Amino acid sequence: MTFQTNPDRDCARAWEAMPWVLQGSAPREQGQALMSHLVHCAACRAEFARQSQLQLAMSLPSDIPLDANVGLKHLLGRLDAPAPQEARSRTAGWLTRALVAAVLIQAIGIGVLGMKLWSESDQPRYRTLSEAAQPATTGSIRVVPDAGMKLADWNALLHALGLRVVGGPNDVGAYTVVPRDSTATAQHLLQQLRAAPGIRLAEPVTRTP
Amino acid sequence: MNDADTDADVTDRMLLQRMSTGDRAALAVLYRGYHGRLCRFLSRLTRRPDIIEEVINDCFWIAWQKAGSFHGDSRVSTWIMGIAYRCGLKALRQHGDEPVADDALPENRVPAHNPDEDRELRDWLGKGLIHLSVDQRVVIELVYGVGHSLDDVAAIMQCPVGTVKARLFHARVKLRNVLPSLAGDSPMREESVP
Repeated sequence: MTFQTNPDRDCARAWEAMPWVLQGSAPREQGQALMSHLVHCAACRAEFARQSQLQLAMSLPSDIPLDANVGLKHLLGRLDAPAPQEARSRTAGWLTRALVAAVLIQAIGIGVLGMKLWSESDQPRYRTLSEAAQPATTGSIRVVPDAGMKLADWNALLHALGLRVVGGPNDVGAYTVVPRDSTATAQHLLQQLRAAPGIRLAEPVTRTP
Repeated sequence: MNDADTDADVTDRMLLQRMSTGDRAALAVLYRGYHGRLCRFLSRLTRRPDIIEEVINDCFWIAWQKAGSFHGDSRVSTWIMGIAYRCGLKALRQHGDEPVADDALPENRVPAHNPDEDRELRDWLGKGLIHLSVDQRVVIELVYGVGHSLDDVAAIMQCPVGTVKARLFHARVKLRNVLPSLAGDSPMREESVP
Protein backbone atom coordinates (compact mmCIF):
# COMPACT_ATOMS: atom_id res chain seq x y z
CA MET A 1 0.00 0.00 0.00
CA THR A 2 1.31 3.47 -0.83
CA PHE A 3 -0.06 6.79 0.31
CA GLN A 4 -1.28 9.27 -2.26
CA THR A 5 0.42 12.58 -2.71
CA ASN A 6 -2.58 14.48 -1.34
CA PRO A 7 -1.34 15.62 2.12
CA ASP A 8 -4.80 15.49 3.78
CA ARG A 9 -5.48 12.04 2.45
CA ASP A 10 -1.99 10.90 3.45
CA CYS A 11 -2.50 12.15 6.97
CA ALA A 12 -5.90 10.44 7.18
CA ARG A 13 -4.39 7.15 6.06
CA ALA A 14 -1.54 7.58 8.49
CA TRP A 15 -4.05 8.18 11.29
CA GLU A 16 -5.93 5.05 10.24
CA ALA A 17 -2.84 2.88 10.12
CA MET A 18 -1.19 3.90 13.40
CA PRO A 19 -2.87 1.48 15.88
CA TRP A 20 -2.33 -1.53 13.64
CA VAL A 21 1.26 -0.63 12.83
CA LEU A 22 1.91 -0.26 16.55
CA GLN A 23 0.25 -3.64 17.16
CA GLY A 24 2.37 -5.22 14.46
CA SER A 25 -0.75 -6.53 12.71
CA ALA A 26 -0.65 -4.10 9.75
CA PRO A 27 0.61 -5.37 6.38
CA ARG A 28 4.26 -4.59 5.77
CA GLU A 29 3.45 -2.20 2.93
CA GLN A 30 1.13 -0.19 5.16
CA GLY A 31 3.84 0.11 7.78
CA GLN A 32 6.41 1.21 5.26
CA ALA A 33 4.04 3.79 3.81
CA LEU A 34 3.33 5.18 7.26
CA MET A 35 7.03 5.51 8.05
CA SER A 36 7.63 7.26 4.75
CA HIS A 37 4.85 9.70 5.54
CA LEU A 38 6.14 10.42 9.03
CA VAL A 39 9.49 11.49 7.64
CA HIS A 40 8.03 14.64 6.13
CA CYS A 41 4.88 15.21 8.30
CA ALA A 42 5.63 16.70 11.72
CA ALA A 43 1.97 16.59 12.90
CA CYS A 44 1.63 12.88 12.17
CA ARG A 45 5.03 12.28 13.75
CA ALA A 46 3.82 13.91 16.95
CA GLU A 47 0.61 11.93 16.81
CA PHE A 48 2.47 8.68 16.25
CA ALA A 49 4.71 9.46 19.22
CA ARG A 50 1.58 10.07 21.32
CA GLN A 51 0.09 6.79 20.08
CA SER A 52 3.29 4.98 21.00
CA GLN A 53 3.12 6.44 24.48
CA LEU A 54 -0.52 5.43 24.71
CA GLN A 55 0.31 1.86 23.77
CA LEU A 56 3.16 1.79 26.26
CA ALA A 57 0.95 3.15 29.04
CA MET A 58 -1.86 0.70 28.20
CA SER A 59 0.61 -2.17 28.27
CA LEU A 60 1.68 -1.51 31.86
CA PRO A 61 0.49 -4.21 34.24
CA SER A 62 -2.54 -3.46 36.33
CA ASP A 63 -1.95 -1.32 39.39
CA ILE A 64 -4.84 -2.97 41.22
CA PRO A 65 -3.54 -5.20 44.02
CA LEU A 66 -5.03 -8.60 43.27
CA ASP A 67 -3.47 -11.97 44.03
CA ALA A 68 -4.30 -14.59 41.41
CA ASN A 69 -3.83 -17.43 43.91
CA VAL A 70 -6.30 -15.92 46.35
CA GLY A 71 -8.84 -15.41 43.59
CA LEU A 72 -8.32 -18.96 42.33
CA LYS A 73 -8.84 -20.33 45.83
CA HIS A 74 -12.15 -18.46 46.05
CA LEU A 75 -13.18 -19.80 42.65
CA LEU A 76 -12.36 -23.39 43.56
CA GLY A 77 -14.31 -22.99 46.79
CA ARG A 78 -17.23 -21.73 44.74
CA LEU A 79 -17.03 -24.76 42.46
CA ASP A 80 -17.32 -27.03 45.51
CA ALA A 81 -20.33 -25.16 46.85
CA PRO A 82 -23.76 -26.29 45.61
CA ALA A 83 -24.76 -24.41 42.50
CA PRO A 84 -27.47 -21.77 43.01
CA GLN A 85 -29.52 -23.41 40.28
CA GLU A 86 -29.40 -26.74 42.12
CA ALA A 87 -30.41 -25.02 45.34
CA ARG A 88 -33.27 -23.34 43.50
CA SER A 89 -34.37 -26.64 42.00
CA ARG A 90 -34.20 -28.27 45.41
CA THR A 91 -36.35 -25.50 46.85
CA ALA A 92 -38.77 -25.84 43.96
CA GLY A 93 -38.88 -29.62 44.48
CA TRP A 94 -39.59 -29.21 48.18
CA LEU A 95 -42.38 -26.74 47.44
CA THR A 96 -43.89 -29.05 44.85
CA ARG A 97 -43.85 -31.97 47.25
CA ALA A 98 -45.43 -29.83 49.99
CA LEU A 99 -48.18 -28.71 47.62
CA VAL A 100 -48.86 -32.27 46.50
CA ALA A 101 -49.03 -33.39 50.14
CA ALA A 102 -51.47 -30.58 50.97
CA VAL A 103 -53.71 -31.50 48.04
CA LEU A 104 -53.67 -35.17 49.05
CA ILE A 105 -54.57 -34.33 52.66
CA GLN A 106 -57.44 -32.17 51.44
CA ALA A 107 -58.66 -34.93 49.13
CA ILE A 108 -58.53 -37.51 51.95
CA GLY A 109 -60.38 -35.12 54.27
CA ILE A 110 -63.08 -34.48 51.69
CA GLY A 111 -63.42 -38.23 51.13
CA VAL A 112 -63.76 -38.96 54.87
CA LEU A 113 -66.38 -36.25 55.29
CA GLY A 114 -68.26 -37.53 52.25
CA MET A 115 -68.28 -41.08 53.61
CA LYS A 116 -69.48 -39.86 56.98
CA LEU A 117 -72.32 -37.88 55.45
CA TRP A 118 -73.27 -40.79 53.21
CA SER A 119 -73.34 -43.25 56.10
CA GLU A 120 -75.57 -41.08 58.23
CA SER A 121 -79.33 -41.53 58.19
CA ASP A 122 -81.21 -39.74 55.51
CA GLN A 123 -83.60 -38.42 58.13
CA PRO A 124 -82.71 -35.03 59.46
CA ARG A 125 -82.08 -34.50 63.14
CA TYR A 126 -84.81 -31.92 63.39
CA ARG A 127 -88.61 -32.19 63.14
CA THR A 128 -90.85 -29.56 61.73
CA LEU A 129 -94.08 -28.59 63.40
CA SER A 130 -96.09 -29.79 60.42
CA GLU A 131 -94.68 -33.30 60.73
CA ALA A 132 -96.57 -35.95 62.65
CA ALA A 133 -95.24 -36.72 66.10
CA GLN A 134 -92.71 -39.51 66.30
CA PRO A 135 -94.23 -42.78 67.37
CA ALA A 136 -93.61 -43.55 70.96
CA THR A 137 -90.79 -45.92 71.72
CA THR A 138 -91.75 -49.28 73.06
CA GLY A 139 -91.62 -49.27 76.85
CA SER A 140 -92.09 -45.53 77.17
CA ILE A 141 -93.78 -44.35 80.36
CA ARG A 142 -95.50 -41.09 80.86
CA VAL A 143 -94.82 -39.71 84.33
CA VAL A 144 -96.36 -36.73 86.09
CA PRO A 145 -94.33 -35.64 89.15
CA ASP A 146 -95.81 -33.53 91.91
CA ALA A 147 -95.49 -29.81 91.43
CA GLY A 148 -93.55 -29.63 94.70
CA MET A 149 -91.05 -32.38 93.84
CA LYS A 150 -87.51 -31.15 93.96
CA LEU A 151 -85.34 -31.48 90.88
CA ALA A 152 -82.70 -33.36 92.88
CA ASP A 153 -85.30 -35.94 94.00
CA TRP A 154 -86.56 -36.29 90.40
CA ASN A 155 -83.06 -36.86 89.09
CA ALA A 156 -82.25 -39.32 91.89
CA LEU A 157 -85.39 -41.31 91.10
CA LEU A 158 -84.63 -41.45 87.37
CA HIS A 159 -81.08 -42.55 88.13
CA ALA A 160 -82.22 -45.19 90.63
CA LEU A 161 -84.71 -46.70 88.19
CA GLY A 162 -82.44 -46.43 85.17
CA LEU A 163 -84.72 -44.09 83.25
CA ARG A 164 -84.04 -41.18 80.97
CA VAL A 165 -86.33 -38.40 79.81
CA VAL A 166 -87.04 -38.40 76.08
CA GLY A 167 -89.87 -35.86 76.04
CA GLY A 168 -91.83 -33.34 78.04
CA PRO A 169 -92.89 -31.72 80.04
CA ASN A 170 -96.07 -31.20 78.05
CA ASP A 171 -98.95 -28.85 78.84
CA VAL A 172 -99.97 -30.84 81.90
CA GLY A 173 -96.45 -31.33 83.20
CA ALA A 174 -96.04 -34.94 82.01
CA TYR A 175 -92.60 -36.32 81.04
CA THR A 176 -91.96 -39.25 78.75
CA VAL A 177 -89.25 -41.56 80.06
CA VAL A 178 -87.73 -44.74 78.71
CA PRO A 179 -85.54 -47.32 80.43
CA ARG A 180 -81.81 -47.08 79.74
CA ASP A 181 -81.58 -50.83 79.94
CA SER A 182 -83.82 -52.56 77.45
CA THR A 183 -84.01 -55.65 79.68
CA ALA A 184 -85.99 -53.83 82.34
CA THR A 185 -89.71 -54.60 82.16
CA ALA A 186 -92.15 -51.74 81.84
CA GLN A 187 -94.51 -53.27 84.34
CA HIS A 188 -91.91 -53.47 87.09
CA LEU A 189 -90.79 -49.90 86.40
CA LEU A 190 -94.40 -48.74 86.54
CA GLN A 191 -94.86 -50.29 89.94
CA GLN A 192 -91.69 -48.73 91.27
CA LEU A 193 -92.64 -45.30 89.90
CA ARG A 194 -96.13 -45.44 91.33
CA ALA A 195 -94.70 -46.44 94.71
CA ALA A 196 -92.14 -43.63 94.68
CA PRO A 197 -93.00 -40.54 96.73
CA GLY A 198 -93.67 -37.37 94.71
CA ILE A 199 -95.00 -39.18 91.63
CA ARG A 200 -98.57 -38.27 90.91
CA LEU A 201 -99.07 -40.44 87.83
CA ALA A 202 -97.17 -43.13 85.92
CA GLU A 203 -98.78 -44.75 82.90
CA PRO A 204 -97.40 -46.66 79.93
CA VAL A 205 -97.50 -44.88 76.60
CA THR A 206 -99.72 -46.67 74.17
CA ARG A 207 -99.00 -46.46 70.41
CA THR A 208 -101.36 -44.45 68.32
CA PRO A 209 -103.32 -46.81 66.17
CA MET B 1 -2.79 -13.55 14.30
CA ASN B 2 0.94 -14.20 14.57
CA ASP B 3 2.62 -17.51 15.42
CA ALA B 4 2.79 -16.74 19.13
CA ASP B 5 -0.95 -16.00 19.21
CA THR B 6 -1.65 -19.22 17.31
CA ASP B 7 0.43 -21.29 19.74
CA ALA B 8 -1.26 -19.61 22.71
CA ASP B 9 -4.67 -20.37 21.25
CA VAL B 10 -3.80 -24.02 20.69
CA THR B 11 -2.74 -24.28 24.33
CA ASP B 12 -5.87 -22.50 25.51
CA ARG B 13 -8.09 -24.85 23.51
CA MET B 14 -6.35 -27.84 25.01
CA LEU B 15 -6.90 -26.41 28.50
CA LEU B 16 -10.55 -25.77 27.74
CA GLN B 17 -10.97 -29.31 26.49
CA ARG B 18 -9.46 -30.64 29.72
CA MET B 19 -11.68 -28.30 31.73
CA SER B 20 -14.72 -29.75 30.01
CA THR B 21 -13.79 -33.12 31.57
CA GLY B 22 -13.58 -31.55 35.04
CA ASP B 23 -9.81 -31.03 35.16
CA ARG B 24 -9.26 -28.34 37.80
CA ALA B 25 -5.54 -28.18 37.16
CA ALA B 26 -6.30 -26.98 33.63
CA LEU B 27 -8.64 -24.38 35.09
CA ALA B 28 -5.90 -23.17 37.41
CA VAL B 29 -3.43 -22.82 34.52
CA LEU B 30 -5.92 -20.88 32.40
CA TYR B 31 -6.94 -18.73 35.38
CA ARG B 32 -3.37 -17.73 36.19
CA GLY B 33 -2.62 -17.14 32.52
CA TYR B 34 -5.48 -14.69 32.08
CA HIS B 35 -5.56 -13.11 35.53
CA GLY B 36 -3.17 -10.27 34.71
CA ARG B 37 -4.76 -9.16 31.47
CA LEU B 38 -8.29 -9.51 32.85
CA CYS B 39 -7.31 -7.52 35.90
CA ARG B 40 -5.99 -4.69 33.74
CA PHE B 41 -8.91 -4.92 31.32
CA LEU B 42 -11.45 -4.72 34.13
CA SER B 43 -9.54 -1.91 35.83
CA ARG B 44 -10.68 0.20 32.86
CA LEU B 45 -14.25 -0.37 34.07
CA THR B 46 -13.85 -0.08 37.82
CA ARG B 47 -11.13 0.62 40.34
CA ARG B 48 -12.56 -1.59 43.08
CA PRO B 49 -10.39 -4.70 43.59
CA ASP B 50 -13.25 -6.68 45.16
CA ILE B 51 -15.45 -6.14 42.12
CA ILE B 52 -12.61 -6.99 39.73
CA GLU B 53 -11.96 -10.26 41.53
CA GLU B 54 -15.67 -11.02 41.59
CA VAL B 55 -15.94 -10.42 37.84
CA ILE B 56 -12.85 -12.52 37.07
CA ASN B 57 -14.30 -15.37 39.10
CA ASP B 58 -17.72 -14.97 37.48
CA CYS B 59 -15.97 -15.12 34.12
CA PHE B 60 -14.09 -18.32 34.93
CA TRP B 61 -17.15 -19.83 36.58
CA ILE B 62 -18.94 -19.45 33.25
CA ALA B 63 -15.88 -20.69 31.33
CA TRP B 64 -15.79 -23.77 33.58
CA GLN B 65 -19.47 -24.44 33.01
CA LYS B 66 -19.38 -23.86 29.25
CA ALA B 67 -15.95 -25.23 28.39
CA GLY B 68 -17.53 -28.22 26.70
CA SER B 69 -19.74 -26.07 24.50
CA PHE B 70 -16.93 -23.88 23.15
CA HIS B 71 -17.17 -24.35 19.40
CA GLY B 72 -13.95 -22.62 18.43
CA ASP B 73 -15.60 -19.96 16.29
CA SER B 74 -13.17 -17.44 17.77
CA ARG B 75 -9.92 -17.51 19.68
CA VAL B 76 -10.22 -18.64 23.28
CA SER B 77 -8.87 -15.28 24.40
CA THR B 78 -11.63 -13.48 22.47
CA TRP B 79 -14.22 -15.77 24.04
CA ILE B 80 -12.92 -15.23 27.56
CA MET B 81 -12.57 -11.46 27.13
CA GLY B 82 -16.15 -11.36 25.83
CA ILE B 83 -17.42 -13.19 28.91
CA ALA B 84 -15.40 -10.88 31.16
CA TYR B 85 -16.75 -7.82 29.36
CA ARG B 86 -20.37 -8.89 29.85
CA CYS B 87 -19.74 -9.86 33.48
CA GLY B 88 -18.03 -6.50 33.97
CA LEU B 89 -20.98 -4.57 32.55
CA LYS B 90 -23.32 -6.55 34.79
CA ALA B 91 -21.18 -5.70 37.81
CA LEU B 92 -21.19 -2.04 36.81
CA ARG B 93 -24.98 -2.09 36.69
CA GLN B 94 -25.08 -3.65 40.15
CA HIS B 95 -22.40 -1.57 41.82
CA GLY B 96 -22.42 1.59 39.78
CA ASP B 97 -19.65 3.09 37.67
CA GLU B 98 -16.45 3.99 39.44
CA PRO B 99 -14.10 6.78 38.42
CA VAL B 100 -10.95 5.67 36.69
CA ALA B 101 -8.70 7.90 38.77
CA ASP B 102 -8.13 6.77 42.32
CA ASP B 103 -5.60 8.59 44.45
CA ALA B 104 -6.15 6.20 47.33
CA LEU B 105 -4.37 3.33 45.61
CA PRO B 106 -1.24 2.25 47.48
CA GLU B 107 2.15 3.05 46.05
CA ASN B 108 4.63 0.71 44.40
CA ARG B 109 2.41 -2.31 44.26
CA VAL B 110 3.56 -3.29 40.82
CA PRO B 111 7.24 -3.87 40.23
CA ALA B 112 8.65 -1.71 37.48
CA HIS B 113 12.03 -1.02 36.01
CA ASN B 114 11.60 2.60 36.85
CA PRO B 115 8.70 3.20 39.22
CA ASP B 116 8.80 6.96 38.75
CA GLU B 117 8.60 6.59 35.00
CA ASP B 118 5.68 4.16 35.28
CA ARG B 119 3.87 6.41 37.70
CA GLU B 120 4.27 9.35 35.34
CA LEU B 121 2.96 7.28 32.46
CA ARG B 122 0.00 6.02 34.49
CA ASP B 123 -0.88 9.55 35.57
CA TRP B 124 -0.67 10.72 31.99
CA LEU B 125 -2.93 7.88 30.82
CA GLY B 126 -5.37 8.43 33.68
CA LYS B 127 -5.84 12.04 32.66
CA GLY B 128 -6.94 10.89 29.22
CA LEU B 129 -9.06 7.88 30.10
CA ILE B 130 -11.17 9.85 32.53
CA HIS B 131 -12.63 11.71 29.54
CA LEU B 132 -13.73 8.53 27.78
CA SER B 133 -16.93 6.56 28.10
CA VAL B 134 -16.78 2.99 29.37
CA ASP B 135 -17.14 1.57 25.86
CA GLN B 136 -14.41 3.85 24.53
CA ARG B 137 -12.07 2.85 27.36
CA VAL B 138 -12.77 -0.82 26.63
CA VAL B 139 -12.01 -0.38 22.91
CA ILE B 140 -8.77 1.45 23.67
CA GLU B 141 -7.74 -1.26 26.13
CA LEU B 142 -8.55 -4.08 23.71
CA VAL B 143 -6.75 -2.47 20.77
CA TYR B 144 -3.74 -0.84 22.44
CA GLY B 145 -3.46 -2.88 25.63
CA VAL B 146 -4.35 -6.40 24.54
CA GLY B 147 -3.68 -6.03 20.82
CA HIS B 148 -6.98 -7.29 19.44
CA SER B 149 -8.13 -6.66 15.87
CA LEU B 150 -11.32 -4.78 15.02
CA ASP B 151 -13.07 -8.08 14.32
CA ASP B 152 -12.01 -9.47 17.71
CA VAL B 153 -13.21 -6.35 19.51
CA ALA B 154 -16.53 -6.53 17.68
CA ALA B 155 -16.89 -10.17 18.76
CA ILE B 156 -16.01 -9.35 22.36
CA MET B 157 -18.38 -6.40 22.58
CA GLN B 158 -21.01 -8.14 20.44
CA CYS B 159 -21.49 -5.17 18.14
CA PRO B 160 -20.78 -4.40 14.46
CA VAL B 161 -17.24 -3.62 13.36
CA GLY B 162 -18.44 -0.18 12.29
CA THR B 163 -19.46 0.58 15.87
CA VAL B 164 -16.02 -0.44 17.10
CA LYS B 165 -14.39 1.80 14.46
CA ALA B 166 -16.54 4.73 15.56
CA ARG B 167 -15.73 4.18 19.25
CA LEU B 168 -12.02 3.91 18.49
CA PHE B 169 -12.10 7.02 16.33
CA HIS B 170 -13.87 9.17 18.92
CA ALA B 171 -11.71 7.85 21.73
CA ARG B 172 -8.54 8.69 19.81
CA VAL B 173 -9.78 12.20 18.99
CA LYS B 174 -10.61 12.83 22.64
CA LEU B 175 -7.25 11.51 23.80
CA ARG B 176 -5.41 13.57 21.23
CA ASN B 177 -7.21 16.67 22.45
CA VAL B 178 -6.71 16.13 26.17
CA LEU B 179 -3.40 14.31 26.43
CA PRO B 180 -0.27 16.44 26.36
CA SER B 181 2.91 14.81 25.22
CA LEU B 182 5.10 13.68 28.09
CA ALA B 183 7.71 16.22 27.02
CA GLY B 184 5.31 18.89 28.28
CA ASP B 185 3.60 20.13 25.15
CA SER B 186 0.16 21.62 25.59
CA PRO B 187 -2.70 19.44 24.37
CA MET B 188 -4.03 19.97 20.88
CA ARG B 189 -7.56 21.29 20.69
CA GLU B 190 -8.38 20.35 17.15
CA GLU B 191 -11.67 18.65 16.48
CA SER B 192 -10.83 17.63 12.94
CA VAL B 193 -9.22 14.43 11.85
CA PRO B 194 -5.84 14.74 10.16
